[in-house]
Amino acid sequence: MAEKNPDKGYVALLGWSLGAIDAAERFDRRYVVVAPDWAEPYCAEHGIPYVPWNFERLNERSMEIAEKLRDMGVDVAIPLFEETVEWAGAINSVIQGNPRLHGQAILFRDKALMKRRAQLGGIRVGIFEEAHDRGDVIRFLKRVNQTLLKLDGDPNDPIHVKAFDKAGCMGHRVIRTADDIDTIPEEEFPVLMESHLDGWEFAVEAWIHNGKVQFLNISEYVTLGYSVFVPASPELEAWRPRVEQEVEKLIKTFDIENGFIHPEYFVTSDGTMYFGEVAFRPPGFKVFELLERAYGFNGYQGLIVCFDPKSTEEEIAAFFPKEVVDATTHAGCFGVYPRRRVVSNLEIPEETENHPYFESHELTAPMENKVTKRTAFGTHWGLVYFVGEDPGTMRDLLKHQEDLDFYV
Amino acid sequence: MSDLIPAPPANGAPPPTTAPDAAADVERLGAMVNRALDRLEQTSAFAKQTARGPLLDIAGRLLAKPGGAEALYARAARIEASGVFSGTDWDHPEILQPSLATGTLAHADRATATLELLSELRLLAVARRDLFHPRISSEQAQHFLAQLLALNLNRLFGSQGEGERANATLNAAIRNLVGFIAERIGYGEILACLSTEIDRILAQRPIMVDDVKLMVTRIAACLHDPAISSGGAGLSAARLVSALFGPTAGCREDPGLEVYRERLAAMDDGALQQEARAFARAMHDTGLVSPYHPVFLRHVSAMERGDLIGQALGLSSTGAEAFSCYAPLVKSLIEAAITPDTTQAVYGLALLLERGLLFDPAIGPALWGHIGLEPCPAAARTLVAAFGDRQPPATLLLAGTISVLGQPLGIGQGNNPTCQAARALSMWALAAPDYLLHLLTRAARDDDIVMVFEGRRLSSASLSAGLAPTPPIDVDPVSVVLVSHLDRIYIEMGRQCAGRPGDPHAWVNSAMHGWWVGQDTALAVDLPGGELAATADLFVRLFHGLYHPLYNGNKPVTHPQPAGIAVTDSLGRFIGWHAITILRVGLGPQGDMRVFFFNPNYDSGQDWGQGVIVSTDGNGERFGESSLPFEQFTARLYLFHYDACEEGQSDAVPAETVDSVLAMARATWAAAKAPAA
Repeated sequence: MAEKNPDKGYVALLGWSLGAIDAAERFDRRYVVVAPDWAEPYCAEHGIPYVPWNFERLNERSMEIAEKLRDMGVDVAIPLFEETVEWAGAINSVIQGNPRLHGQAILFRDKALMKRRAQLGGIRVGIFEEAHDRGDVIRFLKRVNQTLLKLDGDPNDPIHVKAFDKAGCMGHRVIRTADDIDTIPEEEFPVLMESHLDGWEFAVEAWIHNGKVQFLNISEYVTLGYSVFVPASPELEAWRPRVEQEVEKLIKTFDIENGFIHPEYFVTSDGTMYFGEVAFRPPGFKVFELLERAYGFNGYQGLIVCFDPKSTEEEIAAFFPKEVVDATTHAGCFGVYPRRRVVSNLEIPEETENHPYFESHELTAPMENKVTKRTAFGTHWGLVYFVGEDPGTMRDLLKHQEDLDFYV
Repeated sequence: MSDLIPAPPANGAPPPTTAPDAAADVERLGAMVNRALDRLEQTSAFAKQTARGPLLDIAGRLLAKPGGAEALYARAARIEASGVFSGTDWDHPEILQPSLATGTLAHADRATATLELLSELRLLAVARRDLFHPRISSEQAQHFLAQLLALNLNRLFGSQGEGERANATLNAAIRNLVGFIAERIGYGEILACLSTEIDRILAQRPIMVDDVKLMVTRIAACLHDPAISSGGAGLSAARLVSALFGPTAGCREDPGLEVYRERLAAMDDGALQQEARAFARAMHDTGLVSPYHPVFLRHVSAMERGDLIGQALGLSSTGAEAFSCYAPLVKSLIEAAITPDTTQAVYGLALLLERGLLFDPAIGPALWGHIGLEPCPAAARTLVAAFGDRQPPATLLLAGTISVLGQPLGIGQGNNPTCQAARALSMWALAAPDYLLHLLTRAARDDDIVMVFEGRRLSSASLSAGLAPTPPIDVDPVSVVLVSHLDRIYIEMGRQCAGRPGDPHAWVNSAMHGWWVGQDTALAVDLPGGELAATADLFVRLFHGLYHPLYNGNKPVTHPQPAGIAVTDSLGRFIGWHAITILRVGLGPQGDMRVFFFNPNYDSGQDWGQGVIVSTDGNGERFGESSLPFEQFTARLYLFHYDACEEGQSDAVPAETVDSVLAMARATWAAAKAPAA
């Protein structure tokens, strides 16, 4: 356990993430974990500071947890998952006496509101609409393709359908035909629909303190939902000044003082940057681990130091490295999906295992032989990690993994 | 993505990377291990599991490289301190058991097996006092590792199993580490376990003894190493070493075949007789044949000294009689098949003569036919792939033929899923050797065998592969040539029975093996689910009535009968269905009624759990037989054949006996399990 700084208050981690707790344990802030009841035995056994709370919908008892944390001396609540973002906003608005924080959190939780807000702030977004049933989706698909001057019989340009309030690729579907629309289960409505932007998609992780970006990472998606690496290639990093401008717009528009955002952007063929969406929590795909591998700093500790309103400028300056130049290597990962319908064994392809960039994998043997058909962008079966000097090699290597069978 | 301003690179295959040499690999992976250790060390005690995965993955790969074990050993103390074991059983090395560790290595997923390997590595450091562990002493660690090595001899010497090929990296890691530990613990320590193990295998008199020879060779190296104290185990080990490398006065110091040939030329009659008797003694004592033995036989055969051939083969009056009746054939067999590369055929030849097989009117002419038999190119290729090209394929095959005829119970399936074919070969070698020679001729010469199934001719050449996609090469030469044919025909017969109610063996077994297989079939399982049938009590009664001398009117088993058993592991858990042959039923030396059977596995001495340990030696078994007490055998039996007209006094079997047999089945293989494969 690291020496704790008695001059600082507590931070509260909302949600159960062993990686985040470990990071807090090794950092100089006192902390408390806010998690459901089932975490209690583990916390008791290992002496982890813990407050039980079941994160359901906000209700009249919500004040209770906010006051409890405030009375403990907590200065800020940090959301670790999409589901705790709104809670963090509500709690922080009480602790910090700033009701705006709750409204802000709601913007992050509702993708349609988020896009509207961005639009109002002069940020360029694609065409989007809410859909309440399949009929809405059909109309949107038709209208988008009319706009594109497609004739009857031309293949449609796809549209994207996403859940309002889920993280990452959960519930994300690509719709091209009326048949695709039929595959959307009734219970997923209402959803957000977006036009498809043909372009280069990437994500940004920005640690923000006092309304200023303290560290900005660009995560290069090789293929969305499959692979990502950091720092990005020089080609993508060439866009950094533009990206910084865009992120500053987001900070202003969403009125962010302290925290962390994780927006996604497109660059289209004409060089326009479009805003996709933004989350107020750590990214998936273990991007924090990749950053730690490339830069050596812990992203969760970065969250703590940025969220904490009592952090000093010097503290923050000392914490973060300099983007790109301080990276010792490129770190990437590939999410494995079984490619066959029936699998019985995990077999790391020889060419992957022998590649000098291959570091390790977290795949496990298949529990079931039959592979569930993927309807939406499903959940991958585990990540494979690569580390190496050359971003070009990294990109090709990650792309090539898509052609390999890890489960046979 | 297309037409981007910042053009994305073409998505091609990664540039070919040059294969770096092993040392560079070890260095690179070593650096990665260090980084994984750094991270694990930094991680809080309660979150070690979040950082354990990368270390296990990378360490497993490092261990699989030559020199990797050494590199990791240097980090043993760091590994122990890193917390990789914390929160697991391995954090308490004092409770670890070699047999469980062996199971973990064999069956666990790669991460768990690698954790086990890392535990072995730090125990080695403890044993060698390079590391102090508060909960286990150096001596305890030493014992643990010695037993572990003895249990994993196959990893040191043996050929790869089916499962091992599938997990190449893990198994390379296990092999490397076991070898690394053996070198450091010292073979002297494990010599005792090793000789016991070899004696146990040799007591089953397998035809294929390459693994045993490898182990004996390792032992020989240890016995000659003054640094190793072999203790009491030395004597038994020395017997094996001398049987292989210096069984007689003329070759005691392993002078080399050329020198020995010169010595033979100079020996007088008395010396030659001494040599002959010493060869015979060593061979019959161990089942191993020294390469000097064929040199001697060829020498005395060329001298036309039939008496010395008989002595060197250690023939009894029966064997000597057969030899004297068929001396020209035997000499021709020696000439054509017995070479220093086919030594074991000497033992086969001796036993073939002892069985009186040559008195069968078909065998002599058939063997003359085999002496001139040239394998077709396909068979020749497989033989060379299996045994090398130091001898022509015809020689290899003839030597194998002699072995099979002499040692029908020495046939094994190797690491192949073809127990049915191996069982059939063994059965014919026992009961229909002329038929076996006929099939072998067809397969070797024409690459095709034909069997008739319910009026239809099945030709193996026109059938697709069976259970084994390619011919097996880790078995005896006859199996190498014949098994893939038998396998294909067996599968085809099964295919033709598809859709019929009941077990396909009911039709296949009698059609495939011979007239003596009973036409009726008793089955103890419900086929779809694989659970015990409602009529299982009748099954048990019937088996007693047909096979138990006290209930069948004391009728002996006349011909080897195919039967099916449910094999279980040492915890009594179901592994799979397995083909065996019932050979005879009789009283063991303790006065218990036992079933003696043939199991085509290489090593039949298996622990099937719940006290059922298959005996191969010491309970009245002949070489190559396995045995179990009658009731224990019945409890694992799930299928046998009989002729309904033979039914004995099934009703007389006491109800308690039936109940106890069924209880044993229910407690093991018939317990809830996955559907039969």
